[in-house]
Amino acid sequence: MLNQIKQQIERLRARGATYVDTRWYPYEETNSLLMWNGNLKDASSSSESGVGVRVLYKGAWGFSASSDLSDISALFDKAFDNARIAAERVTFPVRLAEKETIEAKFESPLRINPFEIPLTEKIAFLQEMDKRLDQPGVTQRVCSLNFTRKQIIFVDSEGSQIEKIITEAFADLEVNGLDSEGGMHERKFKPPRRGESRGWENIDLQYFSQNAERIVRELNDTLQAEQCPVDDRAVILLPGIMYLQTHETIGHPLELDRILGYELAFAGGSFVTLDDFSKLRYGSEKLTVRADATLPNSPGSFGFDDDGIPAQDNLLIDKGILVGAITGRQMVEEANAKARRTIFNGSSGANRATSFYRVPIERMTNITSDAGQDGTLEDIIRNTERGIVLDGDRSWSIGSNREQFHFGTEAGWLVEDGQITRPVKNATYKGSTVAFWNSLTAVGNQSTWEVCYVDNCGKGQPNQIMQLGHGVPVCRFDNVRIGE
Amino acid sequence: MSEKILQTLGALRDYALEKGYEISLYYHEEDSYLMRFANSAISLNTNEHLIRLEVTAYEGSKRASYAMITDLAKLDDMKKGIDIANEMAKHAMPLTYQTTVPTYENTFIDVSNFDPDLSTISNEEKLALFNQVVSGLETDEIKLSGIFSCGANTVAAISTRSEHSILMKTSDAQVTIVLSHNRLKWEVQAEQSAQQKSDLDPAALRAELTALLHHYTHDSPQQLPLGRYNIVFGPAAIADMLNFTRYIAFNGGLMKRGYSFLNEENIDQKVFSNQFSFFDDPERRETFPFRRDIYGIERKRFALVENGVFKAFAWYQDDADEFGQQPTGHTVPHHSLCMAGGSKPVNSLGELLNLPRETDILYIPFLHYMNIVNPSKGILTGSSRFGALLLKQDGTVVVPYNVRLTQSLLDIFGDRLSWIAQEILPYNTSLSYGARNPTSIIVPRFMQVNDLEISHSNSSY
Repeated sequence: MLNQIKQQIERLRARGATYVDTRWYPYEETNSLLMWNGNLKDASSSSESGVGVRVLYKGAWGFSASSDLSDISALFDKAFDNARIAAERVTFPVRLAEKETIEAKFESPLRINPFEIPLTEKIAFLQEMDKRLDQPGVTQRVCSLNFTRKQIIFVDSEGSQIEKIITEAFADLEVNGLDSEGGMHERKFKPPRRGESRGWENIDLQYFSQNAERIVRELNDTLQAEQCPVDDRAVILLPGIMYLQTHETIGHPLELDRILGYELAFAGGSFVTLDDFSKLRYGSEKLTVRADATLPNSPGSFGFDDDGIPAQDNLLIDKGILVGAITGRQMVEEANAKARRTIFNGSSGANRATSFYRVPIERMTNITSDAGQDGTLEDIIRNTERGIVLDGDRSWSIGSNREQFHFGTEAGWLVEDGQITRPVKNATYKGSTVAFWNSLTAVGNQSTWEVCYVDNCGKGQPNQIMQLGHGVPVCRFDNVRIGE
Repeated sequence: MSEKILQTLGALRDYALEKGYEISLYYHEEDSYLMRFANSAISLNTNEHLIRLEVTAYEGSKRASYAMITDLAKLDDMKKGIDIANEMAKHAMPLTYQTTVPTYENTFIDVSNFDPDLSTISNEEKLALFNQVVSGLETDEIKLSGIFSCGANTVAAISTRSEHSILMKTSDAQVTIVLSHNRLKWEVQAEQSAQQKSDLDPAALRAELTALLHHYTHDSPQQLPLGRYNIVFGPAAIADMLNFTRYIAFNGGLMKRGYSFLNEENIDQKVFSNQFSFFDDPERRETFPFRRDIYGIERKRFALVENGVFKAFAWYQDDADEFGQQPTGHTVPHHSLCMAGGSKPVNSLGELLNLPRETDILYIPFLHYMNIVNPSKGILTGSSRFGALLLKQDGTVVVPYNVRLTQSLLDIFGDRLSWIAQEILPYNTSLSYGARNPTSIIVPRFMQVNDLEISHSNSSY
């Protein structure tokens, strides 16, 4: 197959293609289990294989994909024809940032392959979790396990050849309950990434059991709680919501394709402009954010992106000032040309596709916020006069240019005079992105920092679901509207 | 091709019977084409041909499934998939209820919604449509974005319970055209949903864009004061809200699990405005309907709300099995949702703009990134996008910066509902997550709801 792919790439080059690449997935397999109130509602597996071909011709992209590899020549011709038509409407001819020719292999670290664990053992884990969640106050208990494993062979017309084998294991728990007025509330446990690997070894029964008890306790506290007041006060975001705040109002607005208007028909744009780089005070001086695709244990680390660029750790926001973006080879060239200055020195290696039948686009890697100097969570609470501690994503809605947001959280605890006083239910907060990040007044130390994962980030047309991570500390923001 | 699919499914069924398995098979084939525009260029031109087979194996009250992307020539791989599913079912855990195995009483083939001219529309024709719609509207600063998504979709199913099968084939197209200002960041949009090639109407798309562009290029934008507004929603916003209503109001399984703002006591009670009627109607071809569900149940017009009275919950088969309810034929990739039109003769943007008005009216055609804040109370939040207008009481029109609305669906479709336009039209709600699933909801052209609170107002686009 590899030789056939290389021959086809050469053939299209001879027809006038300026660049061709291919992602061959010999296999991608998944295994999902979902237990709901003790019923194994879903026990499913899947497998797929195929090839995606991307062709650049006269400054325009064409793409074609198929699982049927019986006529690979026709597949390459379709991609070429798609590019040929696209070349009839070009306003800024696509060109690609320079890169080195790479021959390499990447395998995500794991100790125990989840696909080698018997189904009965996985079910036993879910049964044990379900038993621990089956407590007074809980009306719905949901436990799930999801595993993926794929081999990707990337070959391009510039001589690169990269093999990747990526395995992911996701497990989470959720409980729901009804308050005295019939209002439904939820509490989830999505474990932060610990250790250096991402296999079955992370499905730690004791750790999950402790957290199962915690979320049941916190759910019951919420069920008994008063309604969250409408108020302006400091919000202290725990990693379980801080990750989503980072994802939606730093990660997405800093995707360079969004900044350049490539998502305006669907996902939206960004309030960030090319003029803003090295100038915009995105947040307070306490805010330093990176796109770090080198964290070993996170799904936002993948060795090489689907342009064949090595994983990197790049600054996005340096002490509050915007300095970088989430980029691929095409967008950095266009951005530099449109800005008439060099903002980006090459691709940051963030162009990824969710499967062989989707085209690579700028995706978040691990968008992480540096830990700070403001102590532990307890220290931050102690130094807060009027605030609310918030955790757990319940709802999220963001403006089309990522300029404003509204989040609902699973749990909230009011803080008065440096102490937690009582839990509240239906906690929400909202704000304008830049004003909010500039109200950052406390950043927790390393003890508060966790790597949270996102397994369902959607973007693009045709739509693509991507996995990634966020390393975030506890943070406090002042004067935020809550309770609406 | 349909014969080949049914033959293959029949052969796989025979294999399962020989092995003594109890299985059902669900086949999905898509031939998808997408031309995407950005910055006035074609940013992506792609096609995918994919065949998916999902095998569900049953052993008593145990159930497991195995899905694969395959092609019809790979019969041995598909048989292997059946073996894997069966092996998984053996080791699965018994459910606490008896699960239903699909049983087809007769063979049902429906290709009446397939138009080969639409599914194979050429790249050149797609480009020509876009060029026609936006000719002369683009400038150095006003750029074209959008998609022309089209394709063919075939689903088929069979089980070991009977030799009959179902097969349904549909063609579809979704056109979205956006013009946006690359410096000011405003966006206007026109959309169309097509089931046949003749449904495509570039003149209508152009008229919609031209009307919005006139205001966005000539009027001074304003930040709206926070407060209560009378709001006219357009088709996209109405469809989005109806979709959420389907999810957190009318789904019987979710109601039993506490995720609905309705309960069984609400049945036959007036819950909404008496102007509001809402159906699942598989006779409406614009909805890309399924006339059988995947368990073989014949699908008929199903009233969810009639004149404000809540009529019934929709029951998916598995939920019906679990909660001891009668399934209602709703186990399909999407429902055929239709909201009834009203009596207001306001059937175009021009007519809306010329409507005599006693108060200011905020027109919101599209709600971006809606989400559920509180399912028990039906509260949603989302922001305006794509061509909002403030129609002033004095007859003038102002372009507002985007605003956020956080409101209960019980208010929006309840007593605050002021009027509904006469005209109804299909609004395409297709998403391309996973397998192709062309979907549209039939909605009124406009709907006015009074006294809704704007909780956030942008100071720029």
